[in-house]
Amino acid sequence: MKLGVFVSDFKLTVDTLERLTAEKLGLILVQNGVYHATTKENGKSSPLLEKTTNLYALSEDIQIRGLKVADVDKRVKVVNYSDVVDLIFNDYDKIAWL
Amino acid sequence: MGILTIGCYPGLVGNMSYDFCLKLADAAVGKGHKVNIWFSGNATGSIKSHQKHLKDYSTGEKHLQALIAKGVEICTCEACTVARGIQKTEGIEGVQWNAMHWYLAKVHASDRVLLIGGE
Amino acid sequence: MGDVKLAMIVQKPQYKGETSRLAITHAISYQTVEILLEDGDTVTPKLCFVGEGVLGIQKGQNAMELYGITSTESHMKNTLLVDLDVLVCKEDLDRYGIPEDAMPDADEMGADKKIQVVPYAEIQKAMEEAKHVLFF
Repeated sequence: MKLGVFVSDFKLTVDTLERLTAEKLGLILVQNGVYHATTKENGKSSPLLEKTTNLYALSEDIQIRGLKVADVDKRVKVVNYSDVVDLIFNDYDKIAWL
Repeated sequence: MGILTIGCYPGLVGNMSYDFCLKLADAAVGKGHKVNIWFSGNATGSIKSHQKHLKDYSTGEKHLQALIAKGVEICTCEACTVARGIQKTEGIEGVQWNAMHWYLAKVHASDRVLLIGGE
Repeated sequence: MGDVKLAMIVQKPQYKGETSRLAITHAISYQTVEILLEDGDTVTPKLCFVGEGVLGIQKGQNAMELYGITSTESHMKNTLLVDLDVLVCKEDLDRYGIPEDAMPDADEMGADKKIQVVPYAEIQKAMEEAKHVLFF
């Protein structure tokens, strides 16, 4: 399956995500999930960024937190709501919210 | 163009997932997609009319009205709503009231389904 | 359109937030959705419990006596009465030390259906077979 997962928390969803597998897995970082893309813990990037190469972070949710697009890990593509709609309809056949 | 059904469970006040739901719906309908929204749990509190917009709190009413005007179907879980003391006469005009099977019926016809859980 | 399969995944424990209970009641509503659908159209959910979601479904709950609300156990019995497929992750039961025989049944209500304790791989398979995946 092609599964797009909205990750809306920094910590709480990792347990569920660790086990999820998909032929194509996309992680769309929204709300506090954007910290996975911008924050290093003890100098290390979030292990979530190793889970797939299809990584996105919502621009509005980065900026509302006073973070900058320049802070976003280079593996993560910054998208807006319109892009998210296209991801939902064009890139993934199932979507989930964690 | 596709059909997106969003199940929204978090409350209007106290959780920004609700704001995400409305922004995503607006973006999807703006691109020509059909959008349905199902409110359950604390999200049902948002269908009460005469909300006062205080700047420390998200506001739902004017956004819901704008989405309805754009053709978005919005339905609130009747049981969840009356359990919160809100009667039909107090609801925002255009918001439908129904039971959980409304949501499943919309899911049946949808190309994509996003359930935004509460808490 | 025929049958649409859903995987409803409960990953949060019951009795704090409402979401995990709403998963169960939404799944049960598959029984009445046909009144809103065309002839021959159906919705078939599989209700799956993973992670902390397995914590609140054990037998012996006293929600009505203590808080005046329907227990999750009672809702689980109703899922069996309406012939829903209910899958509970075996690895997570083991992780939290919950024996399989702590799972409720609805034998006394005449239900034939049983809760199925399955490896996580079965729940992953349910997600793959479903048209839509709903995480509660």
